[in-house]
Amino acid sequence: MRNISLILKQFSRSVLLVAGLAVCGFSAHAQADAAKGEALFKAKCTACHKIDVRMTGPALGPQLTQETDDAYLTKWIQNNQALIAAKNPKALKIYNEFNQAGMTVFSELSDADVGNIITYVRTEWKKMQDEKAKAPAGGSATTEDQGPSSVIIWGLLGVIVIAFIVILVLNKVIATLERLLLNKGGVALIEESEDDEAAKAKANRAEVFKKLIKNKKLVFFVVLCGTIALGSWQWVTMWNTNVHQGYQPVQPIKYSHELHAGAMKIECQYCHVAAFKGKNASIPSLNICMNCHKSVKTESPEIHKIYDALGYDPNTAKYDSTKAKPIQWVRIHNLPDLAYFNHSQHVKVGGIKCQTCHGQVQEMKEVYQYSPLTMKWCIQCHRRTEVNGKGNAYYDSILAAHDKIKKGEKVTAAVLGGIECAKCHY
Amino acid sequence: MLAMNKIKVLGTTAFVIAASIIITSCKDKRSTGWEYAPNMYEHTAYEYDQPNNNFKDGKTAQVPPAGTIPVGFKRFDYPNTKDGYELAGTEVKNPLAATQGNLEDGKKLFTTFCSPCHGINGQGDGLVVQHGYPPPPSYSKGQSSRGGAMKDLTDGKIYHTITYGVNAMGSYASQVAPEERWKIVMYVHHLQTL
Repeated sequence: MRNISLILKQFSRSVLLVAGLAVCGFSAHAQADAAKGEALFKAKCTACHKIDVRMTGPALGPQLTQETDDAYLTKWIQNNQALIAAKNPKALKIYNEFNQAGMTVFSELSDADVGNIITYVRTEWKKMQDEKAKAPAGGSATTEDQGPSSVIIWGLLGVIVIAFIVILVLNKVIATLERLLLNKGGVALIEESEDDEAAKAKANRAEVFKKLIKNKKLVFFVVLCGTIALGSWQWVTMWNTNVHQGYQPVQPIKYSHELHAGAMKIECQYCHVAAFKGKNASIPSLNICMNCHKSVKTESPEIHKIYDALGYDPNTAKYDSTKAKPIQWVRIHNLPDLAYFNHSQHVKVGGIKCQTCHGQVQEMKEVYQYSPLTMKWCIQCHRRTEVNGKGNAYYDSILAAHDKIKKGEKVTAAVLGGIECAKCHY
Repeated sequence: MLAMNKIKVLGTTAFVIAASIIITSCKDKRSTGWEYAPNMYEHTAYEYDQPNNNFKDGKTAQVPPAGTIPVGFKRFDYPNTKDGYELAGTEVKNPLAATQGNLEDGKKLFTTFCSPCHGINGQGDGLVVQHGYPPPPSYSKGQSSRGGAMKDLTDGKIYHTITYGVNAMGSYASQVAPEERWKIVMYVHHLQTL
């Protein structure tokens, strides 16, 4: 009996060992596959695919997990055009689902490479789902880092005021109680004398105050200080009336220029297209946001504000124009109607950098008005800035006209552009 | 009587100083500050991006009537399909002369509008890509998703792509005018040789 059990034990041990080794070896093998697949996936696939969400192509995680026919997948990845040309029903279905946007042909990938990629995508997708299952249901508790709202501030102030009142009332109550106790103990005499002293001190103070008031020099000095303070305050306030410098309103979307123009160095003109072409620098239309945000940061609630405004559904990548509604950005820079300002004139002809007037926007998380935009500010710059007339036909013609005057030649209206069509017919 | 007056004067001065300190100390950046007669700041003329009740859809920027084109506008009659792309690739040629000036303009435009993703040298390594945006293929070494090598793309194919976009790339028709697109095409041809 003993022998048998020993043999059994040894046998089971060896079986376990072999099984364990096999599992280890297998998983190691799978890992190697996945690692190779990961490198390939990042090099070849990420331009159009993500594992968990749809981009240009379908979300590969669910797609490759549902489709278990590896031979078909390999064929598709290596040459999807051939499958479509051969009218493979599966291939045609997905081809039409994605608006007949063909996938790049990857004939350079071997069967083993494709296998590695598929293994990587499947394990990665499984990992993602496991993590999702593990994550507690209270995922909605993501706190937004907002500053304390005004409600909270007023609430706190209210609490402080109430606490103060409570303390005062309690003090009063304690004082009355103490007095009662003292009265009972017959120590009231001392208290009376204390009261007396306090009254005397008060009278003293009042006398000092009266003396101070009668000091005419002091009174004059105080009044003078007051007048100066009031006057300077009035002066500053009047100068700053209608000047919006420093104005930093809350915008409907938390867009950061610091990130886009600062860290990623996207030029101002990429979004504010019209700054070089027209009067207005233009607020970017949402299709410019979607150039990138169709593919990146698709999970952000701020980006979803763009999707909502466009009626865009990220799951189907389709626009529904009936649901579209404009985003109401808050205007910061506002010149009154009495002044004409043209961006292209300053930026294109004048060659002035955006930052000269708008400040270091690429460092602003939230944009504010950097310049006062007052007439004084405009004129100061116009007085100091030298005009660069090189290669500008307008200035060339002006200089030519001046040369004529210097030479004593006749300068007609025609020389100054007086017979251009638009001088009369506009 | 005089003493009473003095008390009043002193009191008001103290009050005014306190008030001025309080008012000037808390400037609210969320407000435009004090305004006097702000009528001129509220534009009577409509700006393109302001709401406008005179139109049915409430926008000032109205779409031109259907079927009209601006004077001097060159039509590009190739639809946003694979066939349209292939057809444009064989039929359409760059109307601009290959001058140094055009190429330089193209470089400037490329730097502004394309290099964030495609990179300064067109290798698909722009700063936005380095921040996690899916990389586009290199102009000189990559493969096109619509068949063939990127370095073999013709005038019409590049112009079609800029106009309509492809895959992760959006349409740049609203940002880049037709002439500017041709200048960019010129510069992309230069990058294809790198």
